[in-house]
Amino acid sequence: MALVDLDFPEQLERFGVDTALECFNCGTCAAICPLIHEHFPRKIIRYAQLGAKDRILQESDELWRCLHCGLCTYTCPREADPGELILGLRRYVIAKWRGRADV
Amino acid sequence: MFKPRDIIELIADNVKKTRNPFGVPNLLMNRWWKGLDLPAEGDVMLFTGLMYQSVPYIEMTTRHLERYEDSALEDYVRYGRYMPKFLVGLGLALLSSKEEKKKSADMLHSIAKVLAKSKVDFFYSPELDHYSGVLLYDLGDIDGFIRHASFVADTLREKGVKKLITVDPHTTYALKVLYPKHVGETFEVKTYFELINFRGENGTKQVTLHDPCMYGRYLEMSDVPTKVLANMGIECVAVRNSGKFTNCCGGPVESISPKLSKEILHRRAEELKSTGAPVVTMCPICMTHLKKGGVEVEDLSTLINRCA
Ligand code: SF4
Ligand code: SF4
Repeated sequence: MALVDLDFPEQLERFGVDTALECFNCGTCAAICPLIHEHFPRKIIRYAQLGAKDRILQESDELWRCLHCGLCTYTCPREADPGELILGLRRYVIAKWRGRADV
Repeated sequence: MFKPRDIIELIADNVKKTRNPFGVPNLLMNRWWKGLDLPAEGDVMLFTGLMYQSVPYIEMTTRHLERYEDSALEDYVRYGRYMPKFLVGLGLALLSSKEEKKKSADMLHSIAKVLAKSKVDFFYSPELDHYSGVLLYDLGDIDGFIRHASFVADTLREKGVKKLITVDPHTTYALKVLYPKHVGETFEVKTYFELINFRGENGTKQVTLHDPCMYGRYLEMSDVPTKVLANMGIECVAVRNSGKFTNCCGGPVESISPKLSKEILHRRAEELKSTGAPVVTMCPICMTHLKKGGVEVEDLSTLINRCA
């Protein structure tokens, strides 16, 4: 059972993204993503919505598979900016790795 | 798949030390302008962002990384720690091929030539031409990106440079979108192919244009090169997935996972090859990568220079 932190989408604003809650999990992004990999990026965006930070950190390497190609952002019906959310999560994980005190 | 953390810290450290991702001195990387007699001062600066010059280094680094991925050695390949001597810095500079360096210089020469043929006034100053830092941004090292980009923007501002001509999609995106947003510095940025115009029919009739993601989606300017070519009597044949829906070549993940990057590459390579017309692109990363997938690719600049 993963710990959840419902304030996490708000915390992500410090990492430059404020759209995590826009996503309604339709999976369009995962369908168009060239990685074709375990519901990427939909699944990790779901983790972000729920604030499943331990999951995000455990599976953090997955974030760097993203090509930053922008196809998901271009096709997301909710303008949730999935590609940018991935970037924001990368910034969050790096801040954790580097031991930034406020994360 | 390599540990992103190792790769990010290595690249961040290189950018800090040498102002480029490879740990190679800029003066050694950036030699294409030698002997060209370009004006050293003026109103509009040609800003290469050192991306074309990076090709020989990317080629060499990824060729070695590929050998270690999924091998028993992968865990030991703390990229940059286990292999520092020959994959970073001067060792890398010595290893990278002379032929590749000449090819990348030729593309920059073509860009300078087509600008001159189109009577565009510009100057070039190697001291002001820096790597944009865009890879740090893409990898999520926003602090490192801002630090480096601020240095680049300050250097230009101190010299009063406000207008830039860019040559590749990643640097263009960085300067047009990321610098104003994250560094608070706005330049007037134009890509070289927005400034040229040739007419007439000269040889090549049809090409397959691979739209880089940054031009196709982020900057929405795929139609510009298509029009430049149309004016020259060169038709861009339809490619499955182009313009705003262009498919990525896979290049961006090459340093993290050569294997994944190849899978994506092969899909794109098939789409491009299936048209039968010669493939052209205007991104040095796409070009290097597509070549690995067995696609013969020409840079837009050399095609235009040849036919103009
Ligand atoms: S990010 Fe957009 S496309 Fe992806 S699941 Fe959420 S709403 Fe759908
Ligand atoms: S930006 Fe990343 S997550 Fe989105 S489609 Fe491209 S590779 Fe997939």
